[in-house]
Amino acid sequence: MGSLNIRDLLTAFSPSLDFFAISTGDGRIKIWDTLKGQVQTEFADIIESEETSIYKKQERGHLAVDYTCMKWFFLEAKKKKRKLGCSILVLGTGSGDVLAVDVSAGQLKWRVNDCHPGGVTAISFSRNGSCVYSAGSDGMVCQIDPMTGNLLGKFKASTKAISSMSVSPDGKVLATASARLRIFDCSNNKKIQKFSGHPGAVRCLIFSEDGKYVLSSSVGERYVAIWSIGGGKSASCVLPMEHPAVFLDSRCIFSGGVDHAGLYVLAISEIGVCYFWFAQNIEELRNTKPTKISMSSEEISSKNHKGALPTIFAAMLQGFSKPASGQLFVAYGLLVKPSFQKILVHPGTDIKLNSSHDGVLLPMTQSLAKSKKGRDSQNRVIALDRANAEDALLPIPKMLDPHEEKKRHETLSIDTDASMLDLVDKKSDAEFVKSEVYIEVETSSICLEDQLRSLGILSKEDSSTSEPKLSSMIFKGVDLEASMPQKKMKAVVLSKSPEDAYKLLGALVTMWQSRSCSGKYVIPWIYSILLNHSHYVVSQEPATQMLNSLVKVTKSRGTTIQSLLQLSGRLQLLMTQIHKATQAKTQLENDDQMDESDAEDEDVNDILYREEDDESELSSDDDE
Amino acid sequence: MRGGKSYVSAPPAFSNDAKRLLVCTGATVSIFSTSTGLQTSSLEGHKALVTSIIVVPASSPASKVLCFCWTSSLDGTIRYWDFSAPELMKTIDVKMPIYSMVIPSILGQPANDDEKPSQVFAYMSVEETKVQENKPKALRGQIRKCNLTDSRLAGGLILGETQRPVPIIISASGKFFGTQSKRKLLIWKVPAKDSVSSVAKKITLHHTKNLTVLAFHPTNRIVAAGDVTGRILIWRGFGNQTFPIGDKLANGRLIQHEEERPGVRGDDDADSCTTWHWHPSEVNVLSFSSDGAYLYSGGREGVLVVWQLDTGKKKFLPRIGSPLLYFTDSPDPTLSSISCADNRIHILKMPSMEILKSISGIKLPCSFPEVKESPCSKFAFDYSAGLVALRMENYCIQLYSLFDDREISEIQVCERNHQPGDDVTVIVTLVALSQDGSMMCTTEVRLPEEDIGALVCLKFWASASQNKSFCLSTIIYEPHRDAGVSAVAFHPTRNMAVSSSYGGDFKIWVCKDDIQQKSEMLQNSGWMCHAVGSYKKRPMTAVAFSADGSVLAVAAETVITLWDPEKNVLVAIIGEMQESIMNLSFVGKSEYLVSVSRGSKPRLAVWSMSKLSVSWSYKLHVEDVACAVDSSLFAVLVLPKSSTVDSNESIFQGKNGVILLFNATDPVPVATWSAREASGGGVAFIQGNQSSFQQNVSPEFLVYMNGDHEYVVFDPNDSDAPELSLTRPGHVVPEETGQFGYASIYGELPEFELKKNQSLLGPSGPSERPWETLFSGSSHNLPPLTKLCSAFLESLLEKRTAIVE
Repeated sequence: MGSLNIRDLLTAFSPSLDFFAISTGDGRIKIWDTLKGQVQTEFADIIESEETSIYKKQERGHLAVDYTCMKWFFLEAKKKKRKLGCSILVLGTGSGDVLAVDVSAGQLKWRVNDCHPGGVTAISFSRNGSCVYSAGSDGMVCQIDPMTGNLLGKFKASTKAISSMSVSPDGKVLATASARLRIFDCSNNKKIQKFSGHPGAVRCLIFSEDGKYVLSSSVGERYVAIWSIGGGKSASCVLPMEHPAVFLDSRCIFSGGVDHAGLYVLAISEIGVCYFWFAQNIEELRNTKPTKISMSSEEISSKNHKGALPTIFAAMLQGFSKPASGQLFVAYGLLVKPSFQKILVHPGTDIKLNSSHDGVLLPMTQSLAKSKKGRDSQNRVIALDRANAEDALLPIPKMLDPHEEKKRHETLSIDTDASMLDLVDKKSDAEFVKSEVYIEVETSSICLEDQLRSLGILSKEDSSTSEPKLSSMIFKGVDLEASMPQKKMKAVVLSKSPEDAYKLLGALVTMWQSRSCSGKYVIPWIYSILLNHSHYVVSQEPATQMLNSLVKVTKSRGTTIQSLLQLSGRLQLLMTQIHKATQAKTQLENDDQMDESDAEDEDVNDILYREEDDESELSSDDDE
Repeated sequence: MRGGKSYVSAPPAFSNDAKRLLVCTGATVSIFSTSTGLQTSSLEGHKALVTSIIVVPASSPASKVLCFCWTSSLDGTIRYWDFSAPELMKTIDVKMPIYSMVIPSILGQPANDDEKPSQVFAYMSVEETKVQENKPKALRGQIRKCNLTDSRLAGGLILGETQRPVPIIISASGKFFGTQSKRKLLIWKVPAKDSVSSVAKKITLHHTKNLTVLAFHPTNRIVAAGDVTGRILIWRGFGNQTFPIGDKLANGRLIQHEEERPGVRGDDDADSCTTWHWHPSEVNVLSFSSDGAYLYSGGREGVLVVWQLDTGKKKFLPRIGSPLLYFTDSPDPTLSSISCADNRIHILKMPSMEILKSISGIKLPCSFPEVKESPCSKFAFDYSAGLVALRMENYCIQLYSLFDDREISEIQVCERNHQPGDDVTVIVTLVALSQDGSMMCTTEVRLPEEDIGALVCLKFWASASQNKSFCLSTIIYEPHRDAGVSAVAFHPTRNMAVSSSYGGDFKIWVCKDDIQQKSEMLQNSGWMCHAVGSYKKRPMTAVAFSADGSVLAVAAETVITLWDPEKNVLVAIIGEMQESIMNLSFVGKSEYLVSVSRGSKPRLAVWSMSKLSVSWSYKLHVEDVACAVDSSLFAVLVLPKSSTVDSNESIFQGKNGVILLFNATDPVPVATWSAREASGGGVAFIQGNQSSFQQNVSPEFLVYMNGDHEYVVFDPNDSDAPELSLTRPGHVVPEETGQFGYASIYGELPEFELKKNQSLLGPSGPSERPWETLFSGSSHNLPPLTKLCSAFLESLLEKRTAIVE
């Protein structure tokens, strides 16, 4: 390969940027697939293959062809809706021919022989694709029909050789350059304007997007000159570079969104460094410092490449995602294996690119295997086995647990999520009128507790611990500490849904049986529920069992109630007698009584008794 | 924008100069250049799958440049094209789906150019669509004849009937054509002077196994057939009795009666039958070389075998890597093509059998063995680059560019070779791509052999550069002990991922190079477990990160748990669905979360994160859901329940799915599209490519990919634009516009909004099958006008706002 000189390169991106054509001066054109990063096609002897059929000039191999310029041109077939209008690669040769290659078909589309004696130097076309212009060292400019290759017209633009030429995007203005820039009106081929200032032949010349400016750079000059069409004779702006430019691209957005308005200029210098300028207007541009994109110095200094240095050799302004920053599509690396990348450039931040170490000669799949050894050292694959996968930084989830009953109405001071939790509360209190839903929410809170328990945060307990919680929820409105009027009780019971009431019933029965609550207050509730929700209770399957036990208990207590009443009366009588009797004896007898009642309590083992007993105790206390 | 067409649905055809290859791609014919492998143009006009292409052969060297072809399609038309232009010349409507077509008369007409061009007849294999009801076992496949010159079906002429339409093969000379039907070969001789009434004569050759493919020798009376066991049978001298050749008639018959006929069964009309057996399984490809000296065969094992016809010697082209489907010879003897089941066409340089170029399309869905408790992600979409990642059979993942309709790369996930016939032991189950496309996560399951050796493996990949060559960064064996991984998801902005398992926990993984980024030692990146969480030991079924990544939603069967991924803190629990939730996703820039549950009680629910409750829900069988990143839109792909398909056939018109676009705040769909082949399909939002300079914000496109991996990319906001009806999936009947007929007139029925109010329980909505109630309502069942009017106006208002967005 030898030392790389990107001056001699011909590059072209396809309009949709999915292909990249490159010719390194040996008469071969390689088409790279920019998406895959692989060679799609190689055109070695397009002319050859065509000409063998005509039986002439057979001695010319591909090395005999020297391409001097290359442009990728997108033919928009009029009737086609999309995409498949073919794209052609227009080439100029040193012998003065202009060729068009249909890239996707892989065939020569048309050819204009000896169009420019002495060699074609530039090819350009407008964005609307009506015709292709070519310029040559004979000073002529030819207009060619891109579909057929017919020569539409030609005119003499200069007496000297034209070194560069460009057509404005709208196709109305044409600029040619040798050392001096000339601007022509395309409609009548009349010269509009002249700019002079470049000492040597202009190498690259382009129009800005809106056709108001011409950008040019000549051989050996370390700047890009911007000329305003219709403006003064001298360059309106000069952008300095460290090395002469070989490639230019520019976009000028003034009509679009306010954010993007501005002038974007892109240039690639001879040593493969990409420069990017952005400014709001031409005055600002003068003072703008370029953003540079280059290969990282480490890459260049490493001796891997045996002389061939990785460089950036083509770039394209693609779009603007943010104000003042451009999206570039860059081809870089080694010529034999270019890499393609979309780069987002922000003004002021230089970018270094790393070239890939993939094998350049082997196809991708094989190179992966081959270069594996080298790659392993750079890129270790970390393997975690089961044990390693287990150790986490935060192995145990914490809980933002708002569901404890007591916390309910506290203000939660956790973070943003607290608001959500508050909302839960509000919702469950206010919005959810339906009791069904209410229960649903509550069960989920119980689930949370289970969760806690499973995580070992709560100690292992029976599910019974959650019972009182549940019941406490159902007990809303049920006051077991004080007697209530019958009517109020009824209202509360009726306000509950049958299901809810049934649960309450169960809870009350167990309470009564376990004597955790005063029977005096429990029994009216049970009565009231049975009265008001009898239908639902009857329909419940497990209810019969509960009711059976209830009946049993009440019966057994009912049998004793008579004797208890007698006992109670007896006791009361005794008490009053004792009160009236001597004070000294009181203590002892009272003790006796207590013992007696305790014993009876155990025998009967029911709450009804207990209730009576409580009453008696109370009364006795009162008496005391 | 459409794409993802199958290139291998029907055999391709070469043009006369062999520089172009005509490939059936869905309803179009794509023309590829054989020298570059790129598409040059396409023939568009058919409305259904194109089933055969016949290039009109050049009768003289001068006419080699002529580019005419006949195509037949399932839409019941035969079309005649000039494919150099490309232009449609002629259309013949047969009104029956054509499965295969041959045109004998254009093939073997040598010198008689001076004659008036005789009438051209096509023989085609059609499906009888008018099924008589008194005949339940109607033979649906028929072979019919059609006069292409004056575009008429030869009336009443049915050459044969088969149970289903079969492909017809023709001999190169155009004298015979035949089909295989179960264990028989049916061969017809084309009458020398073809006319409408002349009936082709028929012979039958029998075999003991089901035949799969047949081929005719180009010059001699030799027919070869392949069967399901991999045998190739070659009958020589078939039909000497039935189709006599001129004077030799008496002679031939005499000899035959005396001769023994080795291998010929019964009184089949053939001289001899030989059998070759090399293929281990069914033979799919059989073709004679143009000079008749060789026979090409291929099958499921992906090896092209060349048999020397006289000696039976074999040569092989191995390692094609996929079952072969078709072999096509070109007029140029140095070129031929083989079509493979992985949607790839290889162009072969002939005597040496080198692969010159490959035309590869999107990978077709392949059947994976079912893995217990591990769902398979269908597709993963790269939001920013517009790529889709598809699982392949050979342990690879294909990255396919949706905008360019081209394959980008293949990533080998497991380091093992794949032969098409092998038993699959490792299955790549899940694929996830991060939002910027720089990271990929895959899971694979090694199937247990006799209940031991099962292994679940989670792999993280990092993309090296623009061209998406992912390299492995971390392997995690058994990430969730023995349990299978149910879902993986990437954090939208950070290097964080989460995987959930059926074992009842989920793990958050972080990439270590978060910290090391300053030192530019990116190579040394690795993923490690950041946090573990579980909820009541319930199986975790779905995971999703919110758009800003601050909330992680994990579905624990029927409830959704919300976590702070950073601190591993359980934030809230919302629920409860009736079936386990299969899919979760946050709706871009809004406070809504979409959950999908399937099963007997499918439900699509939208949860409000501010209220922690259901905002609205539908009882729909949702196949896939996709949420836009930049807006509050989301799209769901809905399948009608199987029970409703029959009753709604007239409504769906063969399109078995609907894409609904919702705004998360509103249960009335913003737009509706019908879709074909929706089962197994997917939807996704992708970012438009930024090549346009005018728009400062690149729009989001909606991608719909169907079960056959065909896809369509469209702008969801453009739903009223007329061109969308063209790009709508599945060749939609033109009278349908953005909304369905009923909905477009009356707006959405109020009943359709099953549960707009915030109740969590009770599926006792009136619309068990929303589609049914929506569409099959007769006019007297309409809700009162007052009710409809408000809904209608509301829907109009909604639409307007959507357009403004």
